[in-house]
Amino acid sequence: MRLKLAIALSRFAGLLSRKILGKSGETIPGRILLILYPKALVALAKNRNIILVSGTNGKTSTTRALTKIVSTLGKTVSNSTGSNLDRGAATTLMTKSEYAVLEVDELHLIRLIAQTNPKIVLLLNLTRDQLHRMHEVKRVADRWHEAVAGATQTVFVGDVDDPFVNYALSASSNSIRVSFGGRKHSDAAVCPSCGIYLKWNKNNYKCRCGFTNTDADITLEPASAAARNAELANIVGKELGAKVVKINPADLERSFTKSYSGISAKIRLTKNPASWTEALSGVSGDDVILILNARQVDGIDTSWLWDVSFDKLHGKRVVVCGERALDMAYRLHVQGIESAVTTSFKEAIEKFNGSSSVEVLAAYTAFHGLVNA
Amino acid sequence: MSQIRIVRIHNELLGTYGDQGNADVLTFRAKFHGITASIIDISYNDLLPTNGDIYLLGGAEDAAQILSLEALRRDDILQGAIERGAVVLAVCAGFQIIGNSFWANGQEVEGLGLLDVKSVPGKKRFVGDVKSKSTVLGLELTGFENHAGKTILGNNAKPFAKVSIGHGNGDGKYDGAVDGNVFGTYMHGPILARNPEFADLLLTRATGRKYSQISDPLATQYATWRRKVTK
Repeated sequence: MRLKLAIALSRFAGLLSRKILGKSGETIPGRILLILYPKALVALAKNRNIILVSGTNGKTSTTRALTKIVSTLGKTVSNSTGSNLDRGAATTLMTKSEYAVLEVDELHLIRLIAQTNPKIVLLLNLTRDQLHRMHEVKRVADRWHEAVAGATQTVFVGDVDDPFVNYALSASSNSIRVSFGGRKHSDAAVCPSCGIYLKWNKNNYKCRCGFTNTDADITLEPASAAARNAELANIVGKELGAKVVKINPADLERSFTKSYSGISAKIRLTKNPASWTEALSGVSGDDVILILNARQVDGIDTSWLWDVSFDKLHGKRVVVCGERALDMAYRLHVQGIESAVTTSFKEAIEKFNGSSSVEVLAAYTAFHGLVNA
Repeated sequence: MSQIRIVRIHNELLGTYGDQGNADVLTFRAKFHGITASIIDISYNDLLPTNGDIYLLGGAEDAAQILSLEALRRDDILQGAIERGAVVLAVCAGFQIIGNSFWANGQEVEGLGLLDVKSVPGKKRFVGDVKSKSTVLGLELTGFENHAGKTILGNNAKPFAKVSIGHGNGDGKYDGAVDGNVFGTYMHGPILARNPEFADLLLTRATGRKYSQISDPLATQYATWRRKVTK
């Protein structure tokens, strides 16, 4: 079948799925296209500038920021809603453009790199997430390393304070290694490069084998995850020839504010130990709702809750809800934090009647549930 | 004895799957029993204390598992602790480490030989909820497994629990192993958070006190609910 015909049919299928099934239509057309024309990604990526973004946390928001920057150079398409497997990429690439900025799932990066021959790949971070699917962080890092080694024409940009990103970048002779002055990594006690106990000196690591973050190409000031990602997006932009675009780090937090019967709720996305820790550090008020689910994309095992310190919540009014509210409540209980367990978000909000604002930390599926509600 | 020392071994290496929570739950439950517990965190470069009452090992990735083993091989403190009756709870990679042999990074590695089991690579990875009945407690347990190894028990170890959901040691029949006060299991959760009665049992073993029921309604509610919904 010819590519053009396959695209037309896939578009039509996407239209049907939107109209009849009420789906977002980001996945279906690409999925069908890849069935009708398995080499579609290779064909669609030809003769345009592909930029890929991957990492455990911050993919979607950084992709959005980077799209804003790249758009100053020419027409740019992006899988802006986070449909980050090959189907989402295929759907996005069906639209003609000069540039494409694609968010890619960590385990799919190797395939996307092989098929789209990207101009630049941005690697943000790699920490524990969805271990029922990823199994081990090192396993993902090894796949990245392999993917990078195979892409000799691609420029790789990454935050080498993360040893796993540094390890992946080490397979490329064409990389821009960025450091933000070092940062502890809770999953990197072992040198990903040589396998011995990794020597950390406060926030920096230096292995006997020479593997270190202290020899970066660019060293910037320490910053929040959102601010770091904004910097990285601009470094990619600069490499493409774009001018620096001012990005407010707050726009890079996966959060939104919504009012529920007079109570203003700031809702943040949280998914794994690293993102919970980051989100908890940003809690400033006294009223907090935590929503925990454990569906596939949330990670079906909640054991990791015990690797997060909820100390920050001592003395606050904490209400928990979600499908795994009890996992959360018991974890908090053992840390000396008592919470009220409710059966729904509505009920949780009602607990704060009379408050003007509440901060909500929501698991991936809960966050999207609230976005779409 | 109303004071116990809980030794959390190499959490920076054996802390991939949240098992450090086992120490927190033990300390928390100990209070209800009138026991003062302290957690001693031991990292790769530290020497194990010889006077611990409960030693804990958790799950890890392959390279970290090998490093932890390497550190524990420097002396025989853990072996000495077992000989004087200390309690050991070893989960997943930790369970394999204290066994006779296991596979990591594609190679067979000799373990510490403190529990008569050997682990071999399975054909597929075992990931998911586990429900089992403990042979020691006579109680239903829940947990979460995420491992590629299969474990075979020798004559000096008994199965820790009979599996009704999940794979356990890989045969789908039993999970873990036990020999005296040494317990091995594949169950994360952490296992003591999911099954607080098991924490109580370890505390009684460590202190020599009689097993007594305590009341922590949230712990009971949580454990009961997990047992109900793990299907």
